[in-house]
Amino acid sequence: MMGAERRTSMAERRPSTLNQSSFSMERRASSVVVPHLAGIEDPLPDTTPDKVDVVVVGTGLVESILAAALAWQGSNVLHIDSNSYYGDTSATLTIDQLKQWVQDVNQGSLKCYENAKLHISSVVGRGSYKSRDFGIDLSPKILFAKSDLLSILLKSRVHQYLEFQSLSSFHTYENDSFERLTNTKQEIFTNPSLPLMTKRSLMKFIKFVLDWENQQEVWASYRDKPITSFLVNKFKLERAQVYELIFSIGLCYNIDVKTPEALQRIRRYLTSFDVYGPFPVLYSKYGGPGELSQGFCRSAAVAGATYKLNETLVSYDPESKTAIFGDGSRVTVTEKVVAAPTQCPKNSRNVPEQMFEVQRLTCVVDKPCLEWFGEGEYAAVVVFPPGSLKSGNRQAVQALIMGAGSDVCPAGSSVWYLTSTESGPRGEMDLDAAFGALEESIIRESSADIENDSGILEVDTSGHFTLNSVKLGQSFKEHISGESIQVLVKLYYKQLTSTPPFEVVDPSIFDVNDPADGVHKKLIPGASDNGVLYTALPSAEISYDEAVTAARVLFQRIVGSDDDFFDLDFEDEDDTDQMNESAVVDDEDDRMDIGLNAEMSVEPVEFAGEMEI
Amino acid sequence: MGWVKSPIHKRAHQNKRYNTATMLQFKLVLLGDSSVGKSSIVHRFVKDSFDEFRESTIGAAFLSQTIKLEKHPDVTIKFEIWDTAGQERYKSLAPMYYRNANAALIVYDVTQPGSLVKAQSWVEELKNKVGDQDLVICLAGNKVDICDEDATAREVQREDAQLYAQEQGLLFYETSAKTGAGVSAIFQEIGERVYQKKGMEVPSSTQARKPLNVELQRPSTNDSTSCCS
Ligand SMILES: Nc1nc2c(ncn2[C@@H]2O[C@H](COP(=O)(O)OP(=O)(O)O)[C@@H](O)[C@H]2O)c(=O)[nH]1
Ligand SMILES: [Mg+2]
Repeated sequence: MMGAERRTSMAERRPSTLNQSSFSMERRASSVVVPHLAGIEDPLPDTTPDKVDVVVVGTGLVESILAAALAWQGSNVLHIDSNSYYGDTSATLTIDQLKQWVQDVNQGSLKCYENAKLHISSVVGRGSYKSRDFGIDLSPKILFAKSDLLSILLKSRVHQYLEFQSLSSFHTYENDSFERLTNTKQEIFTNPSLPLMTKRSLMKFIKFVLDWENQQEVWASYRDKPITSFLVNKFKLERAQVYELIFSIGLCYNIDVKTPEALQRIRRYLTSFDVYGPFPVLYSKYGGPGELSQGFCRSAAVAGATYKLNETLVSYDPESKTAIFGDGSRVTVTEKVVAAPTQCPKNSRNVPEQMFEVQRLTCVVDKPCLEWFGEGEYAAVVVFPPGSLKSGNRQAVQALIMGAGSDVCPAGSSVWYLTSTESGPRGEMDLDAAFGALEESIIRESSADIENDSGILEVDTSGHFTLNSVKLGQSFKEHISGESIQVLVKLYYKQLTSTPPFEVVDPSIFDVNDPADGVHKKLIPGASDNGVLYTALPSAEISYDEAVTAARVLFQRIVGSDDDFFDLDFEDEDDTDQMNESAVVDDEDDRMDIGLNAEMSVEPVEFAGEMEI
Repeated sequence: MGWVKSPIHKRAHQNKRYNTATMLQFKLVLLGDSSVGKSSIVHRFVKDSFDEFRESTIGAAFLSQTIKLEKHPDVTIKFEIWDTAGQERYKSLAPMYYRNANAALIVYDVTQPGSLVKAQSWVEELKNKVGDQDLVICLAGNKVDICDEDATAREVQREDAQLYAQEQGLLFYETSAKTGAGVSAIFQEIGERVYQKKGMEVPSSTQARKPLNVELQRPSTNDSTSCCS
């Protein structure tokens, strides 16, 4: 849609809003001003709209962000999903929903998934393990503290629907043990196992990488070369540090990752550190992308979008601009039909090829796994670099561990999400090997009496006791236990995607059916989806970073410019500012407030008591 | 829900006026078919705010309204009110909507035949989604002003609804968002009930490992969180 005129924004379309809030308009001339009582929508029209600007099919995270961005921009959006739940490929499912999902995949009614295998222990579904006590993510993700998605969550205020917790524990699996990541400057200095030379080199590299883009002279000759050669040649780093930087800090799957891309990913971690505290990453409670999708859909609904679950797109005719749905209804579409490849209509012929594989193994085990989490935390990342597993893995396996405190599983259990980009049977072998390594490790760690081994508890510089997981791993290496863990749920599946792992979404993938040069692709006779713009499915990337990029590119295609992409300004923002200010003045009060708020949202009914001030 | 130190207390603290009043915060969700008047009831409630408690709306997220309990003047209740945003229309409310709700207001339209039956299916839906945790549920027959003008317009008898509410253990009111009749009484009663159910509970001090939530609007450094390219 190059050359398309920029569509008017919501503020421009609604003169009443504009007049009432001229003071806000002055402050930020271009932004959409959200009226005071925007939480209450206008009375609904009596019938389903027969004309909309955009139809969005599928409520995955990208589609949901897009729908919210369009709705706030002023577009009239109809957002449907063929499932009975929100989230599509980003969904967070209960056990009952998961059973149905596996059946649907294996019957071929869910596209872009293959080979789903599910084992559920007979104890699940009764007693203390109710189906709805589980929230299993189909595409688990973590949120970097400095990222596009985080600022959009704030701008749209979708964060107010959600609860976030911190994640500071990143482990690297090497030589049959877990090493906790040395990730702060302080830790690098105080780590006794690092030689002085290595410390210097590491510090030099960290200083560089924070500003790498402006130092082309350092890396220009490595533009198309793997990061390993750059780190070894330029910064004289040892293998252990190189691996930590690429796989644990950069969260790359592949050793061949190109230098600029890896530098970008390493910086992402370092700049996210200390934004909210001594951790780089957050996750949302009750589930990841599934929760965020629901939040963005609700936001879109508040801005006027119409929602219909259990609804399918049957066909779209770009000539008459008519979309027909499963319930027989039809609408005229003034702008675009956007669809997730998973929810393409029958007889579609324009779905982009999904050539990349993401293999996942998701388990719920009856161990809380607190040993792996940071103080007061309920999640951890464990990375298995290439060659670290018994399967001789060629690519890294990433594991995201979620404890019961994140409210995705019953007390005493935890969810292990393992992901591999390896294709074919090798992928499953790697996942099994990583699962075995985790299992062995948790049995060793949880069966031993930690407190009796003074070498394992260490006092850090600030006087806190920390678990030394390096020693933990080593000292239990000889400890053979006949114990095994009980697996409550075990799920294998393969997801296909057009997005390569770790590449930021390339706008050209949306050209398949909607060429950027404006020359319309020839319509395929008989196809039910001519003119439909397909979105990109989630890749194996563990962060949310690609979702916002994809939504923004699609937004630009539809609206003609991304100027109004979440350009929002809430009218009562002053109130919030004021409260923050007063909080800053009284520092102690402020801290207390945060603590109480946190309590409040964690234990909604249990915390009560007379509080005197 | 919990004891929250409100901005009011903060001010009192700064003025060295000591105040033992406390504030409870509850999540209240609206349910019922579209066009029965859910949003209008919230509008009526939120706009008729008391002077001493500044109404605070949270833009697109949800609405807040603070009331003082008539029976317990030292207790203020802050309702965090979630409107359906139209997602009830095609039965497309998300699990997020119901989560951690302390109270639900289920609305029907007294002038719509069969409207009570639909409200009953919302009660079932609610019990399915939330389970039988102690949730305060209130049934409201709205638009009574129409019947006051023209008695023949009434399609749902007060007695029928009341009987159903009694059987199910729901609070019951007839309201008019238009005239305001019954609206503040409903929120008073809900506030009182939630306070009785939850406010008196003894705090559990046994919870050792409680994860702290991170408030996204409060970065720890002066760094701006805005990093959109
Ligand atoms: N006469 C009368 N009309 C009402 C009352 N409450 C709502 N309405 C009208 O009913 C329609 C639907 O109201 P709304 O609040 O949007 O319903 P919702 O879909 O349940 O949120 C609107 O036209 C309102 O003006 C009431 O108490 N009396
Ligand atoms: Mg409404």
